[in-house]
Amino acid sequence: MDRRKFLKSTAFIAGAGLIARKSNLTAAESDPTVVMIKNGSPREMASKAFEMLGGVSTFIKKGDYVMIKPNMSWDRRPEYAATTNPELVAAVVTICLKAGANKVLIVDHTCNDARRSYKNSGIQDMAGEAGADVRFIRESHYVNTDIPNGTAINRWLIHREVFKVDKLINMPILKHHSLSGLTIGFKNMMGLIGGNRGRIHRPFAESIVDLNRVIIPDLTIVDAIRVLRRNGPSGGNLKDVDELNTVIAGTDRVLVDAWSARLFGKDPESLEYLKLAHSSGMGEIDTVKYPAKQHLFTS
Amino acid sequence: MKNLNSRTIRRIVQIGFLGLFILTVLQAAYPFKPWLPPELFLWADPLTAIITQIAGRFFDPVFLIALLVLLSPFLFGRAFCGWICPLGTTIDISDKYIIRGKNRSTRKYRSLKTIVLLGLIFFAILGIQLSWWLDPLPLLWRSFGILGMSFFFLFANTILNGLYDVNIFPDTVLDIQDGISAWLFPVGTPKFSMLLLPFLIIIGILALGKISRRFWCRNLCPLGALLGLLSKFSPFQRVVDQEACTSCSVCRKKCKMDAIEDDYITTEKSECILCLDCKDNCPTDAISYQFRSPLAMKSTTDLSRRSFIGAGAVALFGSGIFTLNVLNPRKTDRRLRPPGALREDDFLERCIRCEECVRICATSGACLQMAFLESGLEGLMTPISKYRLGYCEYNCNLCGEICPTKAIQPLDLEEKQKTKIGSAFFLTDRCIPYRLNENCIVCEEHCPLPEKAIKLDEKEYTDHETNETRIVAYPYVDQNLCIGCGICENKCPLEGEAGIIVTREREERF
Repeated sequence: MDRRKFLKSTAFIAGAGLIARKSNLTAAESDPTVVMIKNGSPREMASKAFEMLGGVSTFIKKGDYVMIKPNMSWDRRPEYAATTNPELVAAVVTICLKAGANKVLIVDHTCNDARRSYKNSGIQDMAGEAGADVRFIRESHYVNTDIPNGTAINRWLIHREVFKVDKLINMPILKHHSLSGLTIGFKNMMGLIGGNRGRIHRPFAESIVDLNRVIIPDLTIVDAIRVLRRNGPSGGNLKDVDELNTVIAGTDRVLVDAWSARLFGKDPESLEYLKLAHSSGMGEIDTVKYPAKQHLFTS
Repeated sequence: MKNLNSRTIRRIVQIGFLGLFILTVLQAAYPFKPWLPPELFLWADPLTAIITQIAGRFFDPVFLIALLVLLSPFLFGRAFCGWICPLGTTIDISDKYIIRGKNRSTRKYRSLKTIVLLGLIFFAILGIQLSWWLDPLPLLWRSFGILGMSFFFLFANTILNGLYDVNIFPDTVLDIQDGISAWLFPVGTPKFSMLLLPFLIIIGILALGKISRRFWCRNLCPLGALLGLLSKFSPFQRVVDQEACTSCSVCRKKCKMDAIEDDYITTEKSECILCLDCKDNCPTDAISYQFRSPLAMKSTTDLSRRSFIGAGAVALFGSGIFTLNVLNPRKTDRRLRPPGALREDDFLERCIRCEECVRICATSGACLQMAFLESGLEGLMTPISKYRLGYCEYNCNLCGEICPTKAIQPLDLEEKQKTKIGSAFFLTDRCIPYRLNENCIVCEEHCPLPEKAIKLDEKEYTDHETNETRIVAYPYVDQNLCIGCGICENKCPLEGEAGIIVTREREERF
């Protein structure tokens, strides 16, 4: 009984925190910027992304508690492109810590066994060495959270630290997915929720947008260094992997997903969840109206 | 001081072997990098070696290790029981500190253990492996490996999760939990469906200490019976200086094994475990242990021809029961065996229910469970895959790596990834796309094969009520690709039975 009470009160606090965090964000949304960097090393591309978005200091303040959400959902080695590039994640960890972040937390609710996935994705080791706290998620870490104005789901179990951190950086990998067409930033947030996650799939677009009403990244950095073309999201066949050597980043999460879709060769408007996110006022979808600032490393 | 020493030394040796045993148990976990084989004690168990090889009609050189223990009675009698056996040590600890029973004489039950041993051998000859019920080392292995792990988790996670919930040193709590997870155990609390039986067996054995010390070792342990029979030829034995002996009866009262006769001088060699307690407690130092002619001390076998025939008859009719049992659903059940499992008959003859595979699976995909009657009476406690509870991790082949009797054959990872455990089938009146004409594809998403075995058939569907048309992806299984790993069944979002199930259709056995 006590536990239930506790969960309720935490959910309340979380909700309050959310409103506070939302106001933070409106400033950034006024001028949607997406950057697309190509052909550098993961480390170079990560630094360049922050530089082009106005410098690290616009995102990370001294003493910040930062959460990075990579995709390390599958028991696959990095070359299979089922999980976020570990060097890119490590680079962002280093950047955050150098900018004065107090702590960088990395978690993911994996599909395969957590220990295998954390290890074999390379993220546990590389991000850990860079100084991040790479943590396993346990059932008790989720809190039942209200989703105000949710259209498909009104309440879900969400990782409690999401509402405690100062900054949330979403670091998905660009992959094929048979249901959503592509899995990029929006779907990556499923790694921060508990419960019967398969239920999120129906109706998929509405549910995924609902989740993103509460879990709001301050920055999205898409790993398109290696891209999974077929048999996503779990992959497992090197023939399905395409090297695009690209990083896409920005504060407008809809526009970042839209530009990633463009890079993949898909019309953003063909992604149902993205259209819905746009019409719900979460960001811009028009890649013609909002071009990406590009940078090409030459060797 | 001298007297105190021999007992202290024995205790150190006992604790050392118990510690070693627990270390071998702890090795059985992902990430699997053993510096000590988890199977070590099971390979060294002559009872396991004899019964399994007779029942399964095979020879595995790894069991030659058991000769060390089997031949030890020809030098040191049942010293294995007194000094090495980790179950004996567990019983000693429990007798002394927990149960604190009396030390009654239980001589009339002594022959039970020999009957048990004979029964097990007879059953083995008839091709039925029953030693798992009472073979001390597999029994203790599952007690520590499965029960111990479960209780450790229950207590540790309840406390740690509670602390985390109320924000007391949350980072330290996570450090401890992630530290445990890094080396030993999975992230969640493992859950097992058949904990009660192994629990009752070990608790029963310990509770018998209420009647007398080492009641199990005296009267029931079939391994003790085996070593006892061979101890008749042991030259190392208890010698009493008859002039110094005052017949004070201390040695007889203190004897854990009730091995000293009423004259305080004669010792029953097949019972004496050389613990040296009598020597330590003798007020006149009349007792010593020396090498003497093996025939100098009497040793009787408390086994009549009657009980011999009795054990044989029980085995004969008992094996008939197993064969005739209606709970023997070879054709009808849905049981799935781990990848690499031998053909069912061979598998049942070899599996000693140590539950090593179940334990190591719990630290990985967590699909293996101890069977109740799912695979018949003979299959009690054998490993079966339950895919609503876990699934076979594509990159894992540890159950075969760890099986001490190779009832599950060790397969290379690549080979295991091609081994068909069973075949997945959609239940179209449960599956969401078929039933509701809505998209779902959770199963397809999780299918781990490089070319997914679950394919999607995209068709237009027109809702008759609203007249709206939409594209729905109807999943189907390519049976030539599916290996029956069961992640589809495991992740199916339906409550209760999944919309896709794996049966043992086309299962590959070895």
